[in-house]
Amino acid sequence: MDCPTCEAMVEPYLDGELPAGESVRFEAALEACPDCRGKLDRLRGLRSLIRELPAERAPDLMRARLERELRAAIPAAAPLVESAPSPTPGSAATPSPRLWSRRSAMAASLLVALGAGWVGGRYTGQDGSRETDELLAGYLRVGLGDRPVDVASSDQHTVKPWFAGRIDYAPPVYDLTSAGFPLLGGRLDVLEGRRIAVLVYRRNQHRLALSLWPATASGDTAPVVSEQDGFAIARWRHAGFELRAIGDIAPKDMSVFAASIDKAMEAGK
Amino acid sequence: MSEAPKPDGQAVERFRIVMLPHLDAAYGFARWLTRDPIEAQDVAQEAMLRALRYFHAFRGEEARPWLLRIVRNTWTDMRTRRSLEKVPLDEADDVVEPGPDPEQSALAGDRRREIARALAALPEEVREVLVLREIEELSYKQIAAVLDQPIGTVMSRLSRAREKLAVALGGRLGKE
Repeated sequence: MDCPTCEAMVEPYLDGELPAGESVRFEAALEACPDCRGKLDRLRGLRSLIRELPAERAPDLMRARLERELRAAIPAAAPLVESAPSPTPGSAATPSPRLWSRRSAMAASLLVALGAGWVGGRYTGQDGSRETDELLAGYLRVGLGDRPVDVASSDQHTVKPWFAGRIDYAPPVYDLTSAGFPLLGGRLDVLEGRRIAVLVYRRNQHRLALSLWPATASGDTAPVVSEQDGFAIARWRHAGFELRAIGDIAPKDMSVFAASIDKAMEAGK
Repeated sequence: MSEAPKPDGQAVERFRIVMLPHLDAAYGFARWLTRDPIEAQDVAQEAMLRALRYFHAFRGEEARPWLLRIVRNTWTDMRTRRSLEKVPLDEADDVVEPGPDPEQSALAGDRRREIARALAALPEEVREVLVLREIEELSYKQIAAVLDQPIGTVMSRLSRAREKLAVALGGRLGKE
């Protein structure tokens, strides 16, 4: 093998694109060709430099936006019945209804490996839905099985003090087991650049995240519950706090939850 | 061209299983194409939605090259659209400012930063080939499918890309 032939094979060899027989011939030729050996070494060095670059991960805010779109792509809300085993791809099985919780669990599982980095810090939603996006992204982190809460306790006297020193206000914490919403714990999140307290509750198999922070406006407002892509979101102001609750539950359950929080806040005054 | 059928629940579910695992790859490729983290999100997100729309045409070939091809086409289209719209320059937020971004500065050490900068500075035609080969680790055939180019073109661009990058990183490579 002459050098030009040999040289033309260096890159395909490096890239694993030579047929087995050719590889053997090339390796034999390489013995006699210091120039091509040098070239191969340099290319290997270049490769290892490039592969030092850390892998990119899709930002979780982007995943949350995508998740919303995927939910919106499904024509109607799936009924809440236990799903059949997933049909194998390509089979002609009838569409199987899925549990919302299962769906969000899948979405959430995608978030498991993500760090807390807020890469999309510059992002602002075109439709003013940035707060919703952030709530949803936060909720998907709550929904993930790994570590839904930073402090896991159904005891409000454990959860409340945990926030001390972590955020600059003391959130009211109530267990609502008697109303059907047991407290699971608390966590920190970031909403529009601010560190906030998030309380996580359970409703049957579903989780709710209640974000709350001191209100700058005064006066209470009644909870407004909206439904978006399978999530119920409640927004209201009560007893000096802005409250946002999000969960993959029915809007009427969300109304019950919001009313229960208000009641507990009143009783706790 | 006929309207794509609207995906049903089952198609969306299959899409999650088949395509969503490649979201990081889609975003990563978009990062190297756009060289901007925010724009990359837009491209990757738009590409995922296109992929969902055309998922009925997916015939069980390899998912990642299929998706990356859509990412590339999406980027090409978005850029074309933008240049047609002649976006006024005073929309400063949309203008990609070269310079360190939070992720870049978080990269450990000058060395990686230098490599990233050199790679990002390559002309797009050769940059994308090199990224697909060395970072996405696609085969020549897969790269040819992503770029819709013959394998010979892939090989010659890859060769040029390596030459250019080696020159740019000369100092790093020179050390024995």
